[in-house]
Amino acid sequence: MTTHSHRVLPGFGLSLGYTLVYLSLLILLPLGGMVLKTADLGFAQVVEIALGERSLAAFRVTFGASLAAAVVNGFFGLVVAWVLVRYEFPGKRFVDALVDLPFALPTAVAGITLATLYAGNGWLGRWIEPLGLKIAYTPWGIVVALIFVTLPFVVRTLQPVIEDIEAEVEEAAASLGASRWQTFLKVILPAIFPALLTGFALAFSRAVGEYGSVIFIAGNLPLISEITPLLIISKLEQYDVLGATALAVVMLAISFVLLLAINGLQWWAANRYTNREPLEAAAGRASAGAAR
Amino acid sequence: MSIEIRNISKRFGNFVALDGINLDIPTGELVALLGPSGCGKTTLLRIIAGMESADGGEVLFSGAEATHLHARERNVGFVFQHYALFRHMTVFENVAFGLRVKPRRERLGEAEIRRRVMELLGLVQLDWLADRYPSQLSGGQRQRIALARALAVEPKVLLLDEPFGALDTKVRKELRRWLRRLHDEMHISSVFVTHDQEEALEVADRVVVMNHGRIEQIGSPDEVYSNPASPFVYQFLGNVNVFHSRLHGGFAEVERGSCEAGATAFVRPHDIDIVRQELEGGMPATVQHVHPIGPVVRVELQHDSEIIEVELSRERQEMLRLEAGQAVWFRPRQMKVFGQEASLAPPPARQPFLF
Repeated sequence: MTTHSHRVLPGFGLSLGYTLVYLSLLILLPLGGMVLKTADLGFAQVVEIALGERSLAAFRVTFGASLAAAVVNGFFGLVVAWVLVRYEFPGKRFVDALVDLPFALPTAVAGITLATLYAGNGWLGRWIEPLGLKIAYTPWGIVVALIFVTLPFVVRTLQPVIEDIEAEVEEAAASLGASRWQTFLKVILPAIFPALLTGFALAFSRAVGEYGSVIFIAGNLPLISEITPLLIISKLEQYDVLGATALAVVMLAISFVLLLAINGLQWWAANRYTNREPLEAAAGRASAGAAR
Repeated sequence: MSIEIRNISKRFGNFVALDGINLDIPTGELVALLGPSGCGKTTLLRIIAGMESADGGEVLFSGAEATHLHARERNVGFVFQHYALFRHMTVFENVAFGLRVKPRRERLGEAEIRRRVMELLGLVQLDWLADRYPSQLSGGQRQRIALARALAVEPKVLLLDEPFGALDTKVRKELRRWLRRLHDEMHISSVFVTHDQEEALEVADRVVVMNHGRIEQIGSPDEVYSNPASPFVYQFLGNVNVFHSRLHGGFAEVERGSCEAGATAFVRPHDIDIVRQELEGGMPATVQHVHPIGPVVRVELQHDSEIIEVELSRERQEMLRLEAGQAVWFRPRQMKVFGQEASLAPPPARQPFLF
């Protein structure tokens, strides 16, 4: 019954085993420990902590700001990736290297820099605040910091995919009478959409877990600009380890469900166009139909 | 729609892709642009399609200036070597694309689009694949879909860039014949680019032979094959043996001095006779290899230090029974002589081989 396929590179069993052990040690074990620790509390208590006024507000700020940052980067990251792939201009390599900078910079440095820039007397803040828009020490500041930190995810995921699009496909669309906008909407966007979703998901999950850059610009006012990771830290500082783990587990659960949903969507978008039925079957059907 | 190309030139950096091309394509003709890779044939096709802009010169469609029209305003159908189908659309949607992107007031109703697309899919005999995705089709099927897609917008001109280049020989032959039939039915002007001389000679009404960004010869398939205008055309269209009169004193002599020193004689492999006994005026040679290839037998002869290729029919080989190592005599039945300045001098008339 078993079919043996001979692969060029053997070692499926070994590499799968390694993968499972590695993931267990690195991810499942610590997270499992966390969940176990929370079990000491009991379900009702976890819910009570999670639904407290302060934690609810923190969840709202964390996930809301992360979503906003991921959406903004989904759009502007696409523009940056497009420009970096499609156009030649002096200093392109320099700009390309700039994109990675948020990866390398200590997040606290980023936070302090952004806070100084956007503060009421900062270089940018002094022009923006008279317009009635306060950024530093408000939830908007959190969004700005998260946009900064997560930009590389979207750009770096999209770049190779945009490079892969054949110019011929666009030329074909143009010769069929499509305008530039129609070519983008109907030909380019569907091709890069799965990668855009991946970039979005990466940016979002990074933003949810971000701590260092946010705390310096957020102002950290409870109920207004306090993020969940900060709330967890402050609980730890008060030796409320159980309360901290409870919050962490809830956050983990929400993140996991959201990421699963995004991955599902991305999988669906990427697999719509591939084989679902061998061609021979369809050919057989057609010839059977013709014979009738 | 007729196409006129006037004095088109194009450079890529220092590379001259097209150098003052003039070409008229009358309505309804199927024209092949034939040449080695890098000769500028694809660039010329892309300039006609509006996907590349020329550095100088004009393109006229039906006598009207079209040099600066955008590709989408030219109403040309373009078929790419690698199909360039939209991967994320079904076969049906691929073919319907050109109909769906029309401005709203020109757009057809959904039922009419459906009818048109199915009609085109019927024309390319693939209507049973309408709801498949391109990744599920074979190369030949994909190219037929690409053709149906190009025809959907009822183009005035059909341009094909090495349309069968990526397909295997058998499918290529089938599609070639099929394209010819389709062209005869639809009667639109078509231009196709190829580096395959057999393809050009078989399918086209007229063949344009190009080399180094220039046109070497324009003519019917028979004309360019049997009366090539330059050594390049002679060599590009089929196999050829080249004899330099300086090296082959015997040849200059048999030419009765009609051919100056430095001239070159071209002889097709199937225009050479081989005999076993000594032949007056013939040249001695040794058989090197005998390869039976399908209907013909290819024989390699060694004459002095040169290898000469000869093609015999199977019957002839059965009479001669040539084997490697045998001493034979050969003489060309007909040949063509180009002087040293062949490209400048008017092409000499074909001369029979004189003894």
